[in-house]
Amino acid sequence: MALDFDRSIIGSEFDRTVFAPVTKDAIQEYAAASGEPGANEVTAPPTFVVRLRGHRWMPENMPNLGRVGFDAGKDIEFGVPVRVGDVLTAVSTVHDIYEKTGRTGSMVFVVLRTVVTNQREDEVAVIDQKMMFR
Amino acid sequence: MILDLHTHSDASEDSRAPVETYMKWLVRKRDVLPIDGIVLTEHRQWDPHADYRHLEDKYGMLILRGAEVETDYGHVLVYGVNDDITRHFDFTDVRLPAQELIPAVARMGGLAVPCHPGRPTIGLCEHYAHKPPIAGVVAVEALNGGSRRGENERVQELIAHYGYHAVGGSDSHLVSFIGICATQFADEIRSVEDLVIALERGRYQPVDFRERLKKEA
Repeated sequence: MALDFDRSIIGSEFDRTVFAPVTKDAIQEYAAASGEPGANEVTAPPTFVVRLRGHRWMPENMPNLGRVGFDAGKDIEFGVPVRVGDVLTAVSTVHDIYEKTGRTGSMVFVVLRTVVTNQREDEVAVIDQKMMFR
Repeated sequence: MILDLHTHSDASEDSRAPVETYMKWLVRKRDVLPIDGIVLTEHRQWDPHADYRHLEDKYGMLILRGAEVETDYGHVLVYGVNDDITRHFDFTDVRLPAQELIPAVARMGGLAVPCHPGRPTIGLCEHYAHKPPIAGVVAVEALNGGSRRGENERVQELIAHYGYHAVGGSDSHLVSFIGICATQFADEIRSVEDLVIALERGRYQPVDFRERLKKEA
């Protein structure tokens, strides 16, 4: 029998956060901390988007998938660059939940997708955060 | 002809390898990897609309499709997937009943091959230690490019005991792993139907190109 949970959670939005305008200081702090400079002092390095923290990082109605969970990595598809003054919006949804088996037994993966856009509604990044539960 | 029977492209959630990049790599490495084609065996899925004929034409290589499903006896490669098979079995189910799946796939015109049998938890050897053998198994993947030390060696005993035919596949999830292990067929294969027939006939053997690649490097 396939993994049993209410599939209506797939595609459901669980967070929408509008961030304060991006500052030059924030870009410089990120560049210094990550060692990844942007194209210039008013353009953030592409991975700047990983510093964004929404109000909620998991849905409230998340099914019980196991006792232990850990970060299983993230994929980021980059869009337009982030510049000083941009107002970024991050919208997070449950993109997928699936089960697989490996050498150590069965695992459930949750993929949380966050789409980041700017004030012009240009796509800045699509971030797929994977969590593994067992 | 030589086919890599076990490969994953970026259609699988744990691979980042585009099919076309596999083709480019194999063309570039033709001297050390004499592969005539690959079989894409994406994890727990079957896309009836996927079509790689344009890449076959462009690169002069056979690109067939199967699936890697998960069962109560470990992972199994399914060749000759068709509507009948996908109607009967939910490929997303990680506990498919292997005793039912393997004979049913054969009845419906396909062929199912247990893969990486020497692997803990998801390999046939471990399951055979405490469960009855599966009826209808024709071949097992004796050579898997992703196996750890000792895992491929465990399979030889299984083959000797049950008389299974042996295939090889890279289990590639990365471009540079494609074709490192494969299967050499005595028969000519031009379609997935040919592949199923050839697998049933048993005129093939696993081939390992890893040493050749090391020497080239």
